[in-house]
Amino acid sequence: FHPLPWRQRGGYMAAKISKLEEQFQKDAPREKQKDGTSSCIFSGVAIYVNGYTDPSADELRRLMMLHGGQFHLYYTRSKTTHIIATNLPNRKIQDLKGEKVVRPEWITDSIKAGRQLSYVQYQLYTKQKGLNYSSVCARGKQDPSSIHEPSKPSLNHLHIISEEDAERPRVNGIHDGDDDDVDDNACALLPRGSQDTLLTNGYVHPVNAALKPQDSFAELQLHVVDTGSHQSHLPQTESRDREEPSCSSSGSKANSHQRSLISTASPAKQPGLHSMQKDLHPKPTSNPGTSAAPQKGNLHDQTRVRLNGSYHMTPNSSTLADSSNPPGRSAAGAEAGIISEFFSRSRLHHISTWRNEFSEYVNALQSRSRAAGGAVFSGQEKLKKLRANCSSGVLSLWFMFVRQSCILHVDMDCFFVSVGVRHRPDLKGKPVAVTSNRGPGRVAQRPGANPQLEFQYYQRKQQHNGVDLDLAALSMAEIASCSYEARQAGVRNGMFFGRAKQLCPDLQSVPYDFQAYKEVALSMYETLASYTHNIEALSCDEALVDATNLLVELGVTSDDLARAIREDIKEKTGCTASVGMGSNILLARMATRKAKPNGQYFLRSEEVDDFIRGQPVSSLPGVGRSMSSKLTSLGVSTCGDLQQLSISRLQREFGPRTGQTLFRFCRGLDDRPVRSEKERKSVSAEMNYNIRFTQVEEAESFLTNLSMEVQKRMEGAGLRGRRITLKVMVRKPGAPVEPAKYGGHGICDNFARSVLLAQPTDSGQLIAAEAIKLFYAMKLDVKDMRGVGLQVQQLEGSYADPSGQGPSRGRSIKDLLLAKQPLLTNSEHTFLVVCILDGLTGPSSSRAFSSNQERVTPPSSPPSTSSDPMPGTSKGGLHHPHTPNHVRTYLNVSIEVPSPSQVDQSVLEALPVEIRKQVEQSWRHREEQPSTSSHLSTPPRTSSSPPPGPSLGTLVLQLQNQPGQPCTTGIILELPDVSQVDPEVFAALPRELQDELCSAYRNKGNAQTENVQCPSSPSTDVPETLSKFNPRPVPTLAGAYEFSDIRTLLHEWVTSISEPMEEDILQVVKYCTELVEDKDLEKLYLVIKYMKRLMQQSSESVWSMAFDFILDNVQVVVQQTYGSTLKIT
Amino acid sequence: MATLTRQDLNFGQVVADILCEFLEVAIHLILYVREIYPSGIFQKRKKYNVPVQMSCHPELNQYIQDTLHCVKPLIQKNEAEKVVMVIMDKEHHPVERFVFEISQPPLLSISSETLLSHVEQLLRAMILKISVCDAVLDNNPPGCTFTLLVHTREAATRNMEKVQVIKDFPWIVADEQEVHMEEAKLIPLKTMTSDILKMQLYVEERTQKN
Repeated sequence: FHPLPWRQRGGYMAAKISKLEEQFQKDAPREKQKDGTSSCIFSGVAIYVNGYTDPSADELRRLMMLHGGQFHLYYTRSKTTHIIATNLPNRKIQDLKGEKVVRPEWITDSIKAGRQLSYVQYQLYTKQKGLNYSSVCARGKQDPSSIHEPSKPSLNHLHIISEEDAERPRVNGIHDGDDDDVDDNACALLPRGSQDTLLTNGYVHPVNAALKPQDSFAELQLHVVDTGSHQSHLPQTESRDREEPSCSSSGSKANSHQRSLISTASPAKQPGLHSMQKDLHPKPTSNPGTSAAPQKGNLHDQTRVRLNGSYHMTPNSSTLADSSNPPGRSAAGAEAGIISEFFSRSRLHHISTWRNEFSEYVNALQSRSRAAGGAVFSGQEKLKKLRANCSSGVLSLWFMFVRQSCILHVDMDCFFVSVGVRHRPDLKGKPVAVTSNRGPGRVAQRPGANPQLEFQYYQRKQQHNGVDLDLAALSMAEIASCSYEARQAGVRNGMFFGRAKQLCPDLQSVPYDFQAYKEVALSMYETLASYTHNIEALSCDEALVDATNLLVELGVTSDDLARAIREDIKEKTGCTASVGMGSNILLARMATRKAKPNGQYFLRSEEVDDFIRGQPVSSLPGVGRSMSSKLTSLGVSTCGDLQQLSISRLQREFGPRTGQTLFRFCRGLDDRPVRSEKERKSVSAEMNYNIRFTQVEEAESFLTNLSMEVQKRMEGAGLRGRRITLKVMVRKPGAPVEPAKYGGHGICDNFARSVLLAQPTDSGQLIAAEAIKLFYAMKLDVKDMRGVGLQVQQLEGSYADPSGQGPSRGRSIKDLLLAKQPLLTNSEHTFLVVCILDGLTGPSSSRAFSSNQERVTPPSSPPSTSSDPMPGTSKGGLHHPHTPNHVRTYLNVSIEVPSPSQVDQSVLEALPVEIRKQVEQSWRHREEQPSTSSHLSTPPRTSSSPPPGPSLGTLVLQLQNQPGQPCTTGIILELPDVSQVDPEVFAALPRELQDELCSAYRNKGNAQTENVQCPSSPSTDVPETLSKFNPRPVPTLAGAYEFSDIRTLLHEWVTSISEPMEEDILQVVKYCTELVEDKDLEKLYLVIKYMKRLMQQSSESVWSMAFDFILDNVQVVVQQTYGSTLKIT
Repeated sequence: MATLTRQDLNFGQVVADILCEFLEVAIHLILYVREIYPSGIFQKRKKYNVPVQMSCHPELNQYIQDTLHCVKPLIQKNEAEKVVMVIMDKEHHPVERFVFEISQPPLLSISSETLLSHVEQLLRAMILKISVCDAVLDNNPPGCTFTLLVHTREAATRNMEKVQVIKDFPWIVADEQEVHMEEAKLIPLKTMTSDILKMQLYVEERTQKN
């Protein structure tokens, strides 16, 4: 909040301030009465609280009421006498020069002393000095080791040196936490501080243990095998493996089928891996390829859920497997298989997919019951009987009247722990933690790692101070979940096991038991489903149930229902669950807090207000660490504080939507429905474990593989997306090269870039191409990369492919066009010819595409199989804009290649000369044809479709048995009359091709060649009949037609990319041109004005230039059509 | 109701009636908004459910009516491409041209009554846009006059020569001076697309009006 004290205030503010003052005066006597202790020590003092203080602004307000002072919610220079703050930015300090800026202790101490103390001693800073605490803080950051050295007196300390002890924490820019908080903070040491990390970590160690060469089952059981020493030698072997990127990448390129790669990485010869696999997947598996297959189903459902498996990665077993190989053994294919392996093995990943599975389970139940014409709810029946016994008819009547919605939030108590101990009665009632480490909690330190530095970093990130840093030698296995007994001892989820063991020496650790988790979770869902199908799966251990109708139907109270559910779950799973109930989701979840452990609580509407006021803001959904720290700086810690803020203020601070949500949530309002099916927002795959590239090629092939993983997931979910985001974690400069956690990412900077495609896609090739482009645009040092993630957003369902063929065939030509670009930039040898095909096959067949020589030619596949495009084949294509004006025609060039994969590069290199010769002979003037093919998503023509026979103006090139050319290639080329060349298309062609065509035309002796200009098109030429029978397609930009969609599209384009691509700009120009021709100047005007606003606002001057370019082009078209240019103000 | 196509005589008639009615309202409104005539001669009326201004000067009204009456047959036959209202300064140099560009919608048909209410909505939007167009236009110099032009398609002019819709009210070929405007800026006002009619209105404005 910026007080803006020097801005001219209008009458409204004056009125508001005086009203607030009145309120204050009115409240003061009441407060005095309540408290009893009152005085007038602050009479004449009016304070204004700026930013976070301790005590809070509210408390200070109360104190001022009690002790005769004034409290101003708004700063006024004339009336406010003191400003209370503990931390001010430089800027404000300069602004407040000459004001009394005092620390809050002045007030508390004065009250203690019973008189108004001199404020001088409590001044936040001395007026002469520009330096303040924040600068100290900054220095602390540069030199982290200095932070914890007690006395580094700074200039600012001079006047507060008397109470140095009390002040020191604040000097570091960190708020003095309560002692209770320390533990909380300690368990959130990691930047993301979430459960997933620790789960991951838990997984790491057993695998490492299992991977010791020749180890099998027996050793797997006791996986405390000297992890320390093992870890220390792993990095070296691993890096050796990394030195063979060529094999692996070539493997991946030649063969991008993940499945086959899995088998390449087949651990058949690797007993260690094989046995581990058995352990991971109890079902008997004869061969890893098949064992991976059933899990793929799960993978497809992967989404970003609370337990975000894709975020924090478990180690990929194949790398580890390889690293356990003797160094001489080939690692071919290993890297390529990594990702697929990784995700198929990662158990954490599985848990994260469970929510989707359960969602689907619920959906399936619903549809089944619909099909059966009504479901039988066993639990419901039971309850009905129960009620009949109790004969609580009155109650049901009551419920008929009060048909209030009732949501149940069912949450298992310490899920992982209670599942872990359910067959171990000896552990019940004892402090138990689920983690992988079962030793004393100490491990040896690896060379190159600097855990202290990382701890300091994480601590600073947590804004938390004072924890003993003697953690260097402690186990970094994190605690996934701990029992309530352990929590009492101060152990928290997410804490490192070593630290927890220090806090609670009796702490027992329980290993992960993923199969059991799944069983228990499933039976919990089954139990719930026996009551109703109105269930929203939140995760493996919690669900929301909309019981509104159920309660009315059964005529029982919600408490009865909750009790029945809990008993049922206890009976079936042996684990306890807590149920929170409320009239909406928010309240139900909050009630669960109160219900825990093993209880139930119904948050009645009448007690909601009191209840919610006391809740910390962080308990609201969507309030994470950053938002709660922002709220704290606003002086808000509880929902009650939050209620004090106006909606407009919240919206100003957090944006319109978040602001409104906060405003509603803190009042217990929530209108989210219980959704049994959730719409996915994104599909992603990320890996930030064990990313150590040495060469750019490795990163490239990794991206390709990651893209294939994303493709699999998208195919599985039946989705396509338009926005591709590449996220990269890069080692923070100065951070240790080897992080404390083996294979971990350490301290990183996160970067992300995204690109918007014209058409939604699910093609891994395409995604890879875009990702690699983005990757190059980021200009990173591959050696510092620690994590890579690919995310596809803006999803839509992939339409059913009528041909029933693979999705790659359904790709639109535009997609193919986009695929072309990176290949060109990758200096792949590309041959791109667009040729004409018109006047022969009728109006509807006029289409165009180009073919792109593929990267790797498979050695000897017969031409007949080539009709199915190889996944490794990159195809480029040109989308020809359909211009509604029929005067315009196209340079429609298409090349008939039986299969692109059959064409040797050298053939294509040789082609132009040949073609040129032949083209010159076969030059024919062609009649123009109206094109109706602009919306085609024609699959690339292959040898299986009969090419149009050679005829007038067609040329067939037979290139047979030439040296270095393994296959026969028939190429049919036709060239149009020069007047039919669309300048846009021409401009869109690659440079070489333009030259080629120009020279071809020149050789033809056509004088017009140089000036490939489309005749300006008098619209009078549009014959009525034509317009009638060939309805003009509406101009669209990347498929968008409505202005609002266009706007969204443009907005995304401009805001998400720092530098526009020429290709995209041309698309926009094309769209605008189409608008002119479609006589929709209004839309054009709106689009242009919108772009102007967007692009000229953008900080990048490139965007301004892009706009100028677009505008210039549009103006030319408008000028041609209307004789005058648009007025752009 | 049976679907009509352009071939049905009715269809063109309906379109022409609707359009001419609209053009009349629009021309009056433009005259008012652009202050070609003193506001005293205008009366507030209601059309398309919005207030519009209509001149009550009989001769002016007659001119507009007659002109549109002559335009109607062209529109019926889809021969009018643009109806242009040119506003000229004292020297008879155009300062503004309100261009109603008429074209065919991609699919022509009339199927039910509800359609017409849809068209009315679109026309209303256009009227509203005209009434606020002074916001995007510069003020005209004093003493402006106006004239109405029609841009025809193809050979329609020849027929127009032959057939005089109203006796002694012939079409004359527009002066180059009236059609051509130097350094014009184009300001799109509104585009409408309905099932029976596609029309856009834009203004060409002389950069230097005074």
